[in-house]
Amino acid sequence: MSKPILIVGGGPAGLAAAHALGSIGQKTVLVEKADRLGGAPILTGYAKLVPSGQWAKDAIGGMVARVEANPAVTVRKSAIVKTFSGQPGAFTATLSDGAIIEASAAILTTGFTHFDSVNKPEWGFGTFPDVVTTSQVEQMISSGRGVRCPSDGRKPKRVAILLCVGSRDRQIGREWCSKICCTVSANMAMEIREELPDCHVYIYYMDIRTFGLYESDYYWKSQEEFKVKYIKARIAEVTSDGKQLIVKGEDTLVKRPITIPFDMVVHAIGMDPNVDNMTLSAVFGVDLHRHGYIARKDAYGAMGATSRTGVFVAGAAAGPETIDDSIAQAHAAAMSALAAGRNQILQAAE
Amino acid sequence: MPIHEKSLIRPENLRTHEKLTIDGVDVSGHWSTFIESRVITDYNEALEAEIAALPGGENIHRCWQCGSCTNSCTVNAIEPRFNPRYWIYLIRMGLESELLRDKDIIWQCVSCHKCTYACPRDVVPEGVMKATAHWLEMKGHTATSPSMHFDREFTEQVVARGRIEDVEVLRGFFKRTRQPLMQDWLVEIAWRIAKRLPVKWGLKSAFSLLRKPRTRGWAKARRAIEDYIHAQEEEHEKALHIGKPQSRPRAANENAPVSRPSAAE
Ligand SMILES: Cc1cc2nc3c(=O)[nH]c(=O)nc-3n(C[C@H](O)[C@H](O)[C@H](O)COP(=O)(O)OP(=O)(O)OC[C@H]3O[C@@H](n4cnc5c(N)ncnc54)[C@H](O)[C@@H]3O)c2cc1C
Ligand code: SF4
Ligand code: SF4
Ligand code: SF4
Repeated sequence: MSKPILIVGGGPAGLAAAHALGSIGQKTVLVEKADRLGGAPILTGYAKLVPSGQWAKDAIGGMVARVEANPAVTVRKSAIVKTFSGQPGAFTATLSDGAIIEASAAILTTGFTHFDSVNKPEWGFGTFPDVVTTSQVEQMISSGRGVRCPSDGRKPKRVAILLCVGSRDRQIGREWCSKICCTVSANMAMEIREELPDCHVYIYYMDIRTFGLYESDYYWKSQEEFKVKYIKARIAEVTSDGKQLIVKGEDTLVKRPITIPFDMVVHAIGMDPNVDNMTLSAVFGVDLHRHGYIARKDAYGAMGATSRTGVFVAGAAAGPETIDDSIAQAHAAAMSALAAGRNQILQAAE
Repeated sequence: MPIHEKSLIRPENLRTHEKLTIDGVDVSGHWSTFIESRVITDYNEALEAEIAALPGGENIHRCWQCGSCTNSCTVNAIEPRFNPRYWIYLIRMGLESELLRDKDIIWQCVSCHKCTYACPRDVVPEGVMKATAHWLEMKGHTATSPSMHFDREFTEQVVARGRIEDVEVLRGFFKRTRQPLMQDWLVEIAWRIAKRLPVKWGLKSAFSLLRKPRTRGWAKARRAIEDYIHAQEEEHEKALHIGKPQSRPRAANENAPVSRPSAAE
């Protein structure tokens, strides 16, 4: 058997790659920066996932358990890769914990960084305690505490979800759509309505991008079964009258300015490139996409190929991605890495 | 004017003061013209629930404002202010005062159902128009429309006797809408029909008019239908928070003038 394959990042994508390779007996070393595996869904503490409806701790927790029990996978937590050299079939990596790893190929599954809402001060995050992010609401739900206003613990009567916070905004240099936040927000709105039936939920949007089958299962369902209201407006400002939050903007459908009181405002935050990407780019010698994600070499060549032969990428490391697509990409990249470790380049569409 | 061409400044929102001095500066007349704010400062979630409680309004919450109903609408083609998409939005956001501005247009829906077939979300906008017209009438914002008068005359005859007499329906309708029975066009039609009709038929209908025959064994059906209608009416009144005194809008509005198409406005 050839040398192990190095997998960097233990989120859904990294776990899927390790599992796929492990299940055919290929040794892997999984390097994870945090002290736990599971990536964003576990580290942040998401609630029920789209589209499975399963709790993150069960679904992704299951992936973690499977990988940790796999004898072909060596897990190295609280570690990052310091240096990486060599060529396909014979790479050498040194880790921050001093370990030296010989690897035949590498897969980068280093994921994304949540947008920090403080960078959009006009929307009140960090100023008003009842302005929160989707991550925080996920935590309120997954912890079992329920959706409550952080200021005084009351149950909100009216909640606004603002879409595209940290996405689709040239003012802050983010020209991409984060792909999953519309669907996550529709799902969250239904969860809020389920827990608090008297609470009205309004979603402020520019476009609704619940792509593919998510259209009926999330967008339509949230409207038709849960009576969530969608208003076409990009909010200008979130302020407060001392009692409630005031959401200001223009309702573009009736061409009227709005200043509406809310108990809670939720930012549907986007998926930024991983803050480590500059370092990862330098260490692994891979090019970045102009928006800062790890660049894919091409669309139809070796799946997951980067600018460096033998180094592959999968999941949110390469751009905003869903969990299921991250997993599928990881399987594809695992296949490419396996072939590259044997000095074959596997073209997907030859 | 179609709503996308509507002026942002409405004449009634202009405030001018004949005599006004601010900080010692005389700003009388044009100088003191202020425009009242168009800002929407709250949503009223109750309005949608009220419309949804009336027959036809059930699916209003599905609307995603694509405008297909308005684009396909028969009435909109000749009356650009007739805009189902817009009214559905006003109702959903609870902008009651805006809705009331159009109260004399909404009932003009001709129930052609073009919108029903165009709507991608099965909102059934025709039903929403019906429910909205119904709501306006129940709340006392509009007088009973001619078509509503007709429907009531028709329904009451059916409920009472299990059948209708054409001539009597017409007579009742004219009475309710305070129109003379002897209208030139009607006399002309009646005359032409009479000329061609076999004598036997003429006698039969004259007889029916006088004797008012019932469908046999109708009493039981009548009670069941009446019970159902009353239960429905009560439910609707409850949903609209209308108390008993107002519960017979028909009687209350009997003397009110009949609304008429106002295309010339
Ligand atoms: C609020 C919110 C809710 C979401 N809900 C859903 C949902 O319901 N369904 C869905 O399909 N998607 C959802 N997503 C998207 C989902 O989070 C991503 O698709 C998924 O996390 C991508 O997995 P990944 O493994 O590529 O990256 P990540 O989950 O980000 O995992 C990357 C891992 O790499 C580690 N790492 C990072 N840098 C380094 C480094 N330099 N060295 C070593 N390790 C490193 C990280 O610690 C992390 O463990 C949501 C996203 C957000 C923001
Ligand atoms: S998925 Fe929706 S909320 Fe997220 S960036 Fe795209 S359009 Fe905005
Ligand atoms: S049913 Fe009424 S609203 Fe619908 S298209 Fe016809 S006239 Fe317009
Ligand atoms: S066609 Fe249907 S969904 Fe579209 S605006 Fe009209 S009622 Fe709403």
